[in-house]
Amino acid sequence: MASTHDLTWKVAPQLDRHLVFPLLEFLQERQLYNDEEILKAKIELLSETNMVDYAMDIHKSLYHTDQVPQEMIDRRVEVVARLKSLEESAAPLISFLQNAALVQELRPDKQYNIQMLNERYQIGADQIEALYQYAKFQFECGNYSGAADYLYQYRALCTNPERSLSALWGKLAAEVLMQNWDIALEELNRLKEIIDSKNFASPLTQLQNRIWLMHWSLFIFFNHENGRNGIVDLFFHDRYLNAIQTNAHHLLRYLATAVVVNKRRRNVLKDLIKVIQQEQYCYKDPITEFLECLYVNYDFEGAQTKLRECEQVILNDPFLGKRVEEGNFVTVPLRDEFLENARLFIFETYCRIHQCIDISTLAEKMNMSYDEAERFIVNLVRSSKLDAKIDSVSGTLVMSTNHINVHEQIIESLKNLNMRTYMLAKNIVEPAQAAAQASAAAR
Amino acid sequence: MASRFWADTESEEEEEEITQSDDEGSEESATAPSGWVNKAKSYLKGAASDSDDSDTQGRTVKSTRERRNEEMLSTLEQIRNATKINDWVNIVDCFDKLNKQLEKVSRINDSNKVPTTYIKALVLLEDFLAETFANKEAKKKMSSSNAKALNSMKQKLKKNNKQYEELITNYRANPVDDEESESEDEEEPDMSDDGVDDVIEYPSDEDREKDGEDEDDEGERKGDWVKSQSKKDKQMDKQFMKDPSEITWEDVDKKFKDIIAARGKKGTGRVEQVEQLTFLTRVAKTPAQKLEILFSVISAQFDVNPSLLGHMPVGMWKRCVANMLLVLDTLNQYPNIVVDDTVDMDEKETKRGVDHKGPIRVWGNLVAFLERLDSEFFKSLQCTDPYTKDYIERLRDEPLFMVVAQNVQDYLERIGDFKSAAKVALRRIELVYYKPQEVYDAMCKLAEQNTGEEGDLEGEVQELSRGPPEFVKIPEIVPRKPTFPESSRDLMDVLVSLVYKYGDERTKARAMLCDIYHHAIFDEYPVARDLLLMSHLQDGIQLMDIASQILFNRAMAQLGLCAFRAGLINEAHGCLTELYQSGRVKELLAQGVSQSRYHEKTPEQEKLERRRQMPYHMHINLELLEATHLICAVLIEVPGMASPAYDRRKPVNKTFRRLLEISERQAFVGPPENVRDHVMAATRALTRGDYQKCFDTIAKLDTWKLLRNKDQVLDMLKTKIKEEALRTYLLTYSTCYESLSLDQLTSMFDLPEGRLHSLVSKMIMLEELHASWDQPTRCVVFHNVEQTRLHGLLFQMADKLSVLVESNERAYEASTGGTLEGLPRRRGENQETGVGGGPQGRWQENFVASQGRGRFGYSGRVGGTGGGYQKGTRGGFGSSRYQDAAQGGRVGGRTGSRGGQVDGAPRMVNLNRGIRA
Repeated sequence: MASTHDLTWKVAPQLDRHLVFPLLEFLQERQLYNDEEILKAKIELLSETNMVDYAMDIHKSLYHTDQVPQEMIDRRVEVVARLKSLEESAAPLISFLQNAALVQELRPDKQYNIQMLNERYQIGADQIEALYQYAKFQFECGNYSGAADYLYQYRALCTNPERSLSALWGKLAAEVLMQNWDIALEELNRLKEIIDSKNFASPLTQLQNRIWLMHWSLFIFFNHENGRNGIVDLFFHDRYLNAIQTNAHHLLRYLATAVVVNKRRRNVLKDLIKVIQQEQYCYKDPITEFLECLYVNYDFEGAQTKLRECEQVILNDPFLGKRVEEGNFVTVPLRDEFLENARLFIFETYCRIHQCIDISTLAEKMNMSYDEAERFIVNLVRSSKLDAKIDSVSGTLVMSTNHINVHEQIIESLKNLNMRTYMLAKNIVEPAQAAAQASAAAR
Repeated sequence: MASRFWADTESEEEEEEITQSDDEGSEESATAPSGWVNKAKSYLKGAASDSDDSDTQGRTVKSTRERRNEEMLSTLEQIRNATKINDWVNIVDCFDKLNKQLEKVSRINDSNKVPTTYIKALVLLEDFLAETFANKEAKKKMSSSNAKALNSMKQKLKKNNKQYEELITNYRANPVDDEESESEDEEEPDMSDDGVDDVIEYPSDEDREKDGEDEDDEGERKGDWVKSQSKKDKQMDKQFMKDPSEITWEDVDKKFKDIIAARGKKGTGRVEQVEQLTFLTRVAKTPAQKLEILFSVISAQFDVNPSLLGHMPVGMWKRCVANMLLVLDTLNQYPNIVVDDTVDMDEKETKRGVDHKGPIRVWGNLVAFLERLDSEFFKSLQCTDPYTKDYIERLRDEPLFMVVAQNVQDYLERIGDFKSAAKVALRRIELVYYKPQEVYDAMCKLAEQNTGEEGDLEGEVQELSRGPPEFVKIPEIVPRKPTFPESSRDLMDVLVSLVYKYGDERTKARAMLCDIYHHAIFDEYPVARDLLLMSHLQDGIQLMDIASQILFNRAMAQLGLCAFRAGLINEAHGCLTELYQSGRVKELLAQGVSQSRYHEKTPEQEKLERRRQMPYHMHINLELLEATHLICAVLIEVPGMASPAYDRRKPVNKTFRRLLEISERQAFVGPPENVRDHVMAATRALTRGDYQKCFDTIAKLDTWKLLRNKDQVLDMLKTKIKEEALRTYLLTYSTCYESLSLDQLTSMFDLPEGRLHSLVSKMIMLEELHASWDQPTRCVVFHNVEQTRLHGLLFQMADKLSVLVESNERAYEASTGGTLEGLPRRRGENQETGVGGGPQGRWQENFVASQGRGRFGYSGRVGGTGGGYQKGTRGGFGSSRYQDAAQGGRVGGRTGSRGGQVDGAPRMVNLNRGIRA
């Protein structure tokens, strides 16, 4: 069953309602579940939002009728009425903010701004609050860009830190939904700083906030060009890693994928494997199992089978399986990257413990044909990433074993001591000298 | 006046008595004793004619007092005689005797009132002394010894009489000698004493009432005395049985206060007090009053056993349980009654009757009672010999306690006092956490069956409170049977979550430990481990009380066993090794007192330790624990010992190494007898790569039968042994082979090919083995990386140098407070990542190894005790804790800085061994 490894049900509770839509869309597209189920889920989602029109459309397509339940119609009326009233109350401030010349007058000093607004334009705390409500309402209606703008402006005026935080969450959600990855990343970092520095009532709330943040960040990291580094850095941050281990084990999949795909963060692989091993009793999926097979058990056959499963998992994951259409081809860039890197991992490890390998077996292990494998190896050898030779007659790859000279090893291990001692001496001597000079000068 | 007469202090009484005696004519003092005897006789007669249930104990007490008074009188007589012949030596002797008797009398009377007899003697002496001094002639005639005695007597008397000056002047003013006053004098303290002394408080009370009536009639009064005396024991019944309607709330309250006032006083019969109070509960007028008295009954029942070491009698305990249930019934019946121990109560608060609306506050603390009940139960189990039937009988009472605890908790939750409820929940947890499901089921079954038994108990209670029907009838409301969820896990979950939510720090920590323990016996290692790591208990455990530390140790031991059963050898070793490091595992687990040769305990320490002991049924089997620990050590150490000398790593388990050395030094190796011998034999086999023999030896241990899934565990063990045998074999003989084929190895070690391949691959990857696979031929090719001894030494030097530099840096940091700039790596980060498995990096390995290593000679190892460890830490529970616990790998800066300095020594030892090898 393709949906065995689907994580949507685990991820969704940690997301905003609106953020779940893209996931459902994806699932619908992949045909993992019945269309009906998904549509029902969508209506369920929409019931709490203000996107009543959309809900009506879905309802129609789900039941193939033109009839719409009365409560939806009622709700629509209600929503429109509320929109009106909010619009009115927020109007003065909005009209002020829309005037670019007036906005120029605002300064970074919040207190000043509030005072100024109050004195000159009779805009008080109520209006500012109304702006927040209005922005929220806009967001609920699906008008994300409007919401994002208002929230941005609200943050400039808001003095309540709690409100400011939720405005920030709102902004982040809006940016994500509008797919403005760069801005979203900025917001994400801002939010992260606040969460880390803020004093939460209980560590549990802080933990919850971190978990939310990580979930939301998935959208950004797997879409932003620099996201691969970002996700590794964020998730490997001690506190966030702890959060994953405590309450969000499933995020390990994304972390593992990111590490495999990321060539520059290979150094964290060891830590990742440690974590995976520790958490294997409560979470495992093909991706983590693949790493475990390869680096804990050195079970290449197992790694091979897992790799095949990994492909399916990636294709069916809303975050990982993003499609890119190039001409007539639909590719999933992440899958290709993952497979390539995973192969490289297998190959590397395999070579390290062998001195002589049969290329056909190797090809089989890496899911390649003989020729492909040979080409692959030749490329590696040529780019001098691999110190080996191909014995074409017997069809084997022969590693040239070279052990590091003992002397080199010793020198290596002593090399940095020199520098450290020097630094130490310098640190001790310099202040002493400075003090001596100072006293001499004083004399 | 009457009530003051009884309730107030004795000195006042004294005065009164003297004024009273004023009226009576004076008589010859010599007749006093006979008068007293008469009196006593009449009393005795009365007592003898009394009904059967008269208390014999009361009579004996009486006669002691009588004797004392008689003694005193006879001494007085002696003095009198001596004065006649002017024998001062004798007088001095008698005076000393008199003083001693005075002490005794006052001790019995429990008062500082001085008997008139004594004063009389003083006056007599004083007069005679003055007389003698006046008569100079006589003085001169005296013998030297007599004169000396006279002088010393003078000094003594002067000093002594100062204390009683007032009394003496009083006495001189009205020399009292007649029979009446004498009898009064004797009788009165007698009476007031009786109340304190034995069952009968009541006569005095009745007297008091009567006193009010015929205060002026002295003659009749005396008659009353006698009457009340004779009725003594039946008093309490009769008095109330006659006309129950006459008894008022005040009566009961007064009596209640009287009894309470006697509590804790010398000579107060504890058991009797309980009975008195129990009786009072029956005549209590209002539910609130009944409750108040019930509370006193319970505390009086706790008082029955005063010593900290002993426990409350079992019967009493059961009655106490019944009383607690009664309290709960009352509280359920009258929800407006509030139990409180913080505010001072209004005196009359309990007077409010059933119909009173609004809260009635009663002083009391249910939780404290319950906790006391629990600790009494615990103590009684501690004191009972676990091999007797008594122990089992006692264990059967556990459901009784569970009922009370459950009801108290329910009640507290209902009134919204969750903090206290959490405390009660903890007590319940502590009764359940160590029980595997089988035992738990048995307990549930027992609770089911117990109904009949409890009926007996009820009957007993009924019998006890024979007599008048109760005024306040309390129907049984709270359930008398505990209800248990199907699995103990459910019960634990409910209780534990309550504690986590409302408990205080200590309660939470203990609940957490119990939770860990419970998870561990249910083979849920990961859950237990996560709980332990997330709670950070191991960081703060040193600061907690010893009982909690013991609990922590127990949890760790159980966690180790759990890890072992799950096949996690390293983890199990991590959990257990510290328990065994000091060789005082018994002490650490509070399962028996271990004696150490090097560290004498004072009796107090021993007593304390005894009080901490776990009851037998809660013990963790020590043999199993030892076997587990040693086998883990074997599996870890043996391959380590086999690796070539130059990159031999530090011994992970020094205890094991030491044991091994001892066993190797033996000239003749006999067949294995105990756990240790078996493991040593297994070790020898494993070192040779003989996995079969190794496994057979270990499987012979009969402690395995204690495991539920014995076969599984043994299978696991067999695989592990095979694997380690393979590793040992490869490490030992790799230098002798050019290559080894996979098939050969598979057949040699009977391991599946895939597993073998992965094992060897792992060794290659970790550079334990300098070899590589040759795939087409399916064999391992060994590379002979020749490393001379010089190389090995150089490596060691490099290691040591880096340690040196590191400690320099640390020293710098410590003195400047800042970190050194421009250095590539930092240790601090390592420490933070705590949750990760295993010791992190070289650094910490070093520290763990050198930590806690005292300088003790080899002599310390013979007993396996290692007396040098943590010398001076009291009890030793503190310092050996798992700060770098199971997987924590967390070594605080504290140990770190110490590590650097001691580090040289173990390394040196290592080096020598390397050379020898």
